[in-house]
Amino acid sequence: MTFPELVNSFFANTLDLSIPVFMPEIVLSGTIVLMLLVRIFQREPRFDVAWLALIGSAVALYYACPLFGAPDLKQFMQDHPTAETFTGLLIHDGISAHFRTLLLVFLVLFIIFTKLSGIPDRIDAPDFFTLVLGGVVGMCLMVASNHLFMMFLGIEMASLPSYVLSGHLKGRRKSSEAAIKYAVFGAGTAGVMLYGISLIAGATGSLHLPTIATQLSTMLGDGTLVGGRLAAVILGGLMLSVGIAFKLSAVPFHFWCPDVFEGASAEVNAYLSIASKAAAAAILVRVAFGFSHLPPPVPETEPVAAHAVEVADAPKLLLVSTAAAKKAPDSNLMLVADGDANGAEAAKPADTLAPVRGFIAGLIGVIAALTCTFGNLAAYGQTNIKRLMAYSAIGHAGYMMMPVSAGLVMLADSPTDAKTAVASVAFYAIVYLFMNLMAFSLIAFIRNSIRSEEIADYAGLIRSCPILVVCFTMTLISLIGLPFFAGFVAKFAVFASLAQAGLYGLLVVAGLNTAVSLFYYIRVVKVMCIDPEPESRLPVYVPFLPSMYVVAVTVPVVVLGLWWNELNEWVQMAANTLVF
Amino acid sequence: MMQFLAQPVGAAHYLLVGAVLFVCGVICMTTKRNALGVLMGIELVLNGANVNFIAFSQPALRADRGLALGLDGQVVAIFVIVLAAAEAAVALAIVLNFYNNHGTVDVDEADELKG
Repeated sequence: MTFPELVNSFFANTLDLSIPVFMPEIVLSGTIVLMLLVRIFQREPRFDVAWLALIGSAVALYYACPLFGAPDLKQFMQDHPTAETFTGLLIHDGISAHFRTLLLVFLVLFIIFTKLSGIPDRIDAPDFFTLVLGGVVGMCLMVASNHLFMMFLGIEMASLPSYVLSGHLKGRRKSSEAAIKYAVFGAGTAGVMLYGISLIAGATGSLHLPTIATQLSTMLGDGTLVGGRLAAVILGGLMLSVGIAFKLSAVPFHFWCPDVFEGASAEVNAYLSIASKAAAAAILVRVAFGFSHLPPPVPETEPVAAHAVEVADAPKLLLVSTAAAKKAPDSNLMLVADGDANGAEAAKPADTLAPVRGFIAGLIGVIAALTCTFGNLAAYGQTNIKRLMAYSAIGHAGYMMMPVSAGLVMLADSPTDAKTAVASVAFYAIVYLFMNLMAFSLIAFIRNSIRSEEIADYAGLIRSCPILVVCFTMTLISLIGLPFFAGFVAKFAVFASLAQAGLYGLLVVAGLNTAVSLFYYIRVVKVMCIDPEPESRLPVYVPFLPSMYVVAVTVPVVVLGLWWNELNEWVQMAANTLVF
Repeated sequence: MMQFLAQPVGAAHYLLVGAVLFVCGVICMTTKRNALGVLMGIELVLNGANVNFIAFSQPALRADRGLALGLDGQVVAIFVIVLAAAEAAVALAIVLNFYNNHGTVDVDEADELKG
């Protein structure tokens, strides 16, 4: 490749293709820099940085959300078609557009929430919002990652701020304990994950997810995936799943979750349980599906890939982007291209990736069942509301993982159903956003008033603030998954995909867990509504604006339970563009 | 073993070094009670992965040359060095905060949150 060609491909790939769909991250990064500058030039905190963070995240949302500028997701995806950006490091498709919008909607709501609840105060605000926005940038990279190392960097960019945020209440013993547990455990699993990535990369010769899938398919096809190479791929895959399981707080890497949730403030809990979990669910979908299906033909419009085709003189199935262009003279890529071309000629060739898919689906299915059961059983005896919500978050992580397994099972025979399964994960993530944001905002506002997070201190709350208790009850019923709230629709979609895939064992586990979860959620409702008020409790008073906020985030929980069709169409469209 | 040592140096030898670093790191992480010792274990794990990446990036070291990672592997290693520094900075700050509140850096003392 000559120098002018290099410059041309830089302009075509980076400036014309990648930067326009990368605007949200750029805006967030710019906002972070501005917030740090404000901190430098202002001795006394006269100006509240929360407003700056709010404006920055709103602008980022404007760039990310398909609803602005385009009437719906379909139109948005036509304007910005599915493409690998930054030479294959990231990918822009429906899933990344959907999850990025979700993350930024959450960010805007979250900043308003922290403004109302008073944590952080004005002095801490620059640090706090720098960390929050930085973490969200990392999560945006996670949901769009198309490359194992980008995925690792995204996870680390999201994790490091989370460690600090969980220790944000500096003087509290419990907060510092939560932070040290989270940091040590998180850094350890990240190290293990990186080692796993190095093994996979060594065995398959690439870090680029579609290339790995193609390479695995070739190796399985000609029987070269044996011995040490097979061991490296399996071991690497298991180690990779350690890191993802940690982010999802899946069993057996869930230990940090209850401790961190109890030690950190309710605001940080909302951030960890919603944004972090949604990004982790997206990355699970990306990795599970990335490894187990062959990449589609490269879109004709992509300039760099077109160049690669020219160089290698291979059919258009030649793999994507500059990774291909760079290595084109290399023998392995020719091999890849050949294998792929042969496959295409045989029109629906023997499904070489079936063993990979079976392995991943089985692994995710078992972990999902364990996670769900453990979370719901352990939540039963909790006395602290934040700890209860932590175990509930573990249980919900299990529900969110189940459709991924179902989707992988159905991928070969009925891709449409597999897409529906992925759509149910996306749907669940949205519903979970509103349910948990409502629960944690209520916990924070009540804490501001009674200085307690024990469930026993919530006794008789209905006599002090009936509206909030009604909202909380609706959210809890939605968390159980009873009709007619959003949680029911989300859970129904999950169960439907399990039934479609014929995973009846998993379906029974999920059903039993829903029954178990009934008891501990309803116990909170019972304490709030029936038990007599404790003598020693401070008077409960939640001001007008925070109450309005709680009511406002409850509205979607109710509305989505009754009119879920539009959102359902939206997530279906998002899942449709997941490369198939 | 002697045979392995007598061979010309290939990727396998580097992988062995990487694996030893990784295992030492994991043992260090799981058995040390001092938080700083745990952090050192994490560094060892990251560096074990780094050795792997470098070994995999070099075509001359591998029988299956086509599968070498090339520059990708080396760039990953550089990024991981930076990332390890960032992680160590954050973790040390958190350990310091823990020390201020508890007067110790023994991770076994972090036992107030349970249940």
